[in-house]
Amino acid sequence: MDLGASGEEGQNWLLLFDKMAKKETGASDVRIDSVVITPWKALLTHVTCGVGLGVAFHAAHNFYSINLIQNPAKTLRLIWVIEAPVVILLYSLFRHRPNQCSYLKAVVRGLLALPAGAVVNALGAIALGSPMIQNFNRTLHWSLLMSVLTCVPTASVFGSSWADWHRIFAHTKPSGPVEYMICLPAHGAVIGAWFGAWPMPLDWERPWQDWPVCVSYGALAGYCVGMAAAFGFVCFGNNRRHVKGD
Amino acid sequence: MGEKWGWRKWGFMVFFGIMLLHITAILLFTRGFLLTRTELSQYSQCSDVSESPCLSPEYQNPELNEEEDDSDDEHCCRHHHRNQNQTVNPDIQAQSCWTKPAVDRIVIIILDALRFDFVAPSSFFEERKPWMDKLPVLHKLASKPGLAAKIFKAIADPPTTSLQRLKGLTTGGLPTFIDVGNSFGAPAIIEDNLIYQLAQNGKRVVMMGDDTWVQLFPHHFHTSYPFPSFNVKDLHTVDNGCIEHLVPALYKQDWDVLIAHFLGVDHAGHILGVDSLLMTEKLEQYNGVLENVVEVLESMSGPGGLHENTMLLVMGDHGQTINGDHGGGSAEEVETALFALSLKNSSSSLPCEFESSSCQLEKEKKRISISSIYQLDFAATVSALLGLPIPFGSIGRVDPELYGLAAGTGEPRILGLNDRSDSGFEEWMKSYVNVLCINSWQVKRYMDAYSASSTIGFSQKDLLHVSELYTRAQEMWSQNIKSSLLCNTKSCNTLSSAIMNQIDAYSDFLATVAGLARSKWTEFNIRIMSIGLCLMVASLFTHVYAIKRLDNLFGLYFTHPGNSGISFMAVFAYTIVLIRASSFLSNSYILEEGKVASFLLATTGILQLQYAIVKKKMVLEGLAFILLVPMLKLGIELGQAKQAVNSLFLKFQPSWTLGILRDSQVLMHVVEIMPLLGLILLACMLYKCILCGALKGILKYVVSGTIFNYVLIALIWASDSDLLSLPMVLEAFKGNLIPRIVYASSLLQLLSLAIFQILSRETGSGQEESTVYKALAMLSSWSSTVILLSGKQGPLVALSSVIAGWCVIKLTRFKQDSDSCCTEDSSFYSFPVVQWSLLATSLFFCTGHWCAFDGLRYAAAFIGFDEFNLIRQAVLLALDTFGFSHILPILGLPLLVALLHSRRKAKQGNNLFPIQLCQVYLMYGLIMAVSVTFTILCVTIQRRHLMVWGLFAPKFVFDVVGLILSDFFICLASLYYLV
Repeated sequence: MDLGASGEEGQNWLLLFDKMAKKETGASDVRIDSVVITPWKALLTHVTCGVGLGVAFHAAHNFYSINLIQNPAKTLRLIWVIEAPVVILLYSLFRHRPNQCSYLKAVVRGLLALPAGAVVNALGAIALGSPMIQNFNRTLHWSLLMSVLTCVPTASVFGSSWADWHRIFAHTKPSGPVEYMICLPAHGAVIGAWFGAWPMPLDWERPWQDWPVCVSYGALAGYCVGMAAAFGFVCFGNNRRHVKGD
Repeated sequence: MGEKWGWRKWGFMVFFGIMLLHITAILLFTRGFLLTRTELSQYSQCSDVSESPCLSPEYQNPELNEEEDDSDDEHCCRHHHRNQNQTVNPDIQAQSCWTKPAVDRIVIIILDALRFDFVAPSSFFEERKPWMDKLPVLHKLASKPGLAAKIFKAIADPPTTSLQRLKGLTTGGLPTFIDVGNSFGAPAIIEDNLIYQLAQNGKRVVMMGDDTWVQLFPHHFHTSYPFPSFNVKDLHTVDNGCIEHLVPALYKQDWDVLIAHFLGVDHAGHILGVDSLLMTEKLEQYNGVLENVVEVLESMSGPGGLHENTMLLVMGDHGQTINGDHGGGSAEEVETALFALSLKNSSSSLPCEFESSSCQLEKEKKRISISSIYQLDFAATVSALLGLPIPFGSIGRVDPELYGLAAGTGEPRILGLNDRSDSGFEEWMKSYVNVLCINSWQVKRYMDAYSASSTIGFSQKDLLHVSELYTRAQEMWSQNIKSSLLCNTKSCNTLSSAIMNQIDAYSDFLATVAGLARSKWTEFNIRIMSIGLCLMVASLFTHVYAIKRLDNLFGLYFTHPGNSGISFMAVFAYTIVLIRASSFLSNSYILEEGKVASFLLATTGILQLQYAIVKKKMVLEGLAFILLVPMLKLGIELGQAKQAVNSLFLKFQPSWTLGILRDSQVLMHVVEIMPLLGLILLACMLYKCILCGALKGILKYVVSGTIFNYVLIALIWASDSDLLSLPMVLEAFKGNLIPRIVYASSLLQLLSLAIFQILSRETGSGQEESTVYKALAMLSSWSSTVILLSGKQGPLVALSSVIAGWCVIKLTRFKQDSDSCCTEDSSFYSFPVVQWSLLATSLFFCTGHWCAFDGLRYAAAFIGFDEFNLIRQAVLLALDTFGFSHILPILGLPLLVALLHSRRKAKQGNNLFPIQLCQVYLMYGLIMAVSVTFTILCVTIQRRHLMVWGLFAPKFVFDVVGLILSDFFICLASLYYLV
């Protein structure tokens, strides 16, 4: 989780644009054993994910008349319940080695990763100081949502392949469009959540300062930025350049 | 540079120089920032009133007015000045000085740290707490019809420490922050004050209770029964002394004002907090005392009785938080109570125009109304009640309700107008408006004198505004007098409203002055402050320069291949330092500083874990470190729970933790045993160190001494707990003997280490290893005292800090191993050093401290000692406050370098160790200095902030003391570790 790497990301962006201008596109890294990603597909995936979030918010507001500020737990639940199938079904399409792994298996992997990722996210949040026992429901649903945004896509695509997880999350060295599409939004969500925690101690006495409202907003915003960045990478950079991590 | 001098000398010179720079900068800044209010040495005199445009006492007397009915016009204010000297009868002036006395005697009973909800009926609050309604006698009196008794909510001004409040109560001014430092050795008040005026005007004052009074007013009391007040554990000496002397004194004639200052509630709060049996018992005891007092007073309040015209005031000097702390500006600390009872037998209540009160029907339909009063107004009101000159520096106003309680009932009786309360009220209004006139004139006089004597007091605009208000009120007054005098012959309706307007005008003026004084009292000397700030920034550059210099020197020894760019980790470390430092610009982040530190610490931990996962090594250490942080955070939250409902500091209450701890018997036992287990573990670790045989000579004995100390500490705690029900033998340990033995043996250990240091002159090889052992011995010899002082949480905190420190070292070491190209210059060390300092900050909050004066654990200063000795107790308090967070981390820092370096050393022949040690200390100092610089900057920017005295100034003081202490210990460490 490269907190604070956004600055360098920015720099790399510039470099990327330079490269792109030179039209140095190389398809060498697109692996045989993965689905070929065209920018269109990437865009469609990201837009669908975004629309999923939008639908979730819309449903929360109009059908259940709840919102994140007043009923964080319920709203978060609604969001992850709507977003999870979208993400799992979509990313399972891009599963690694499609010949050896059926679509159904990828979906199941994604479903299994949901609680596991939630545990990891909850642990991270607790380490950073989120309340443990109070607001248990909120923490639960927040971490499930975070899991949907971070771990579930990876699990759907790569399953339990440690090497791939390691490359994406520890090294932060994604290669190939699918990995950009997984890695950047996930990091965006985590970094966004980290920054989202900043306003919490302020004494503005606003309801959205409660755990985990602003953290969720930060995570979602980061996720969207990450998706946009990933789309950029997919569009312009089928090259070997990767985000230099830590 | 270092080679020539020897590193020890070089290091010491540099660190000493930086310390001097810091001290100079801080002294300069403090001089500009914490300036005391200029105390004027002028005193109010009886004769001064002739300079005022108001009526002097003989005119206030209605009987005289009636006699002089026809010639009144000549005496209206325009001629007043000229005629004054001829008309004043010295006899009259002697008995009534500025105003006509409304009461003859006053009994002031001060209950230290009296919360408002101790006095007010519980029906005023949402919830009935166990400590409420424990003083029913006051409710009974306040609700009794026909009795002039009333409960006030008294609002104090911060700082809410006893000394400041007593000073504020008696001078009627706003004591400033710097006086807090004097709270330990209370100096006599040199400003004009109520007690001085009492003594000067022939009133005899009897004082009993808290000996702070005698220190404040050494020569003013007719009789005094002072009792020592500073031993927090002592609940009864002062109170019993008071009780012993109070009731007998009430029968005596030889006093005019009686002051009894009870301390039990304050001390009970400090020991166990508000919600404790001790507190309830104390309050019930006070209820009995007050019942007694009221009974005696009422029995003699008949016509011609000793207490015919006596007033009883029961008041607190400040409030306290649920936890029993006070000093800051939160509502709980500021709100205290004042109960007033006038024994004059008549009833008249003020009309609602004056009542800022909230009335509440009691269950039995008894009406109790509660008004609020500012403590600022106390001196002026009591002076007016007794007819004394108002102290020169008082900026309070005579409170209408408190004054009315006694004074309003006086006039009708003299005039024989008992039957018509309306005209009685009118008379009261007349006298009150005159008192306000004198009051306003006195305040205006003070403002003028103050602005004349100090150049940067109030801004010209504000002064102009105040003068305008005063002039307007005064013009009204001169017109008003005429109508007032006309009205003596035949009653008229317009009078009442005219006087009302007049009172409003004066009140407006006085409120403006008080507001102005509150907002602008302290005179910041911006120039000195900015010089201090600049010096501080200069010290930062010195740090950076020294680090760079060492870096260059380092580069000479072995040229690192290529990678001279600053690594991501270093940049991240600097960013974290800057984030933390900038967070001080907001008051919210200062309140949550502990959590911010642990948040950042966890972030660094997560980064390191990620790194460990990359290298597929040390994942366990990384995880352990990350899991440790929530533990620390739990400690911080528990510490905050200690601050308790103090709303300023707490957003949510981790009641679940406390609830569990209280309810479950098993958990109680666990809580009892945990510290002992922790101690045993620590001792085992030390024992293992001895066993492994590397500790040589005197170091071995020092470390075994620490084990011995741990055993002693365990004995103390075991004898304290009921759980273990140890034999009576342990009773002997309950006293102060063991703590003193621990202190003494710690001192001995340090001394022997110093001697060892002087005797042994080893150089060259094995320096890292010997440093490790020296650091171990040093840490262990400090640890026993620090653990003893910080109480039962001590061993656990010590254990977690050991584990955390070990994780930091381990993780850094492994990074060093894996990045073979990595150079060991400043950029390499910056990350672990930042982690180290974040850990230290977290430990400060984890041990139950926070940056406010109520965050000091005063009880720690009395472990092993009962009597108060300024230096001794201050040292113990400092050890408790800064032990875990400043002293131990600094002394332990060489471990980081030595353990990291010992690996590298095998490869390099050069002796780089001292350079790195210097560098690491410089970096640590830099991190501290950066945050202090930002605190200072923030204090400068926010100096007009609402919470400057409640929040920013304490934070500033804590930071500054911490910085100087760190500098000092870095100097010592450089002497000790550098060869």
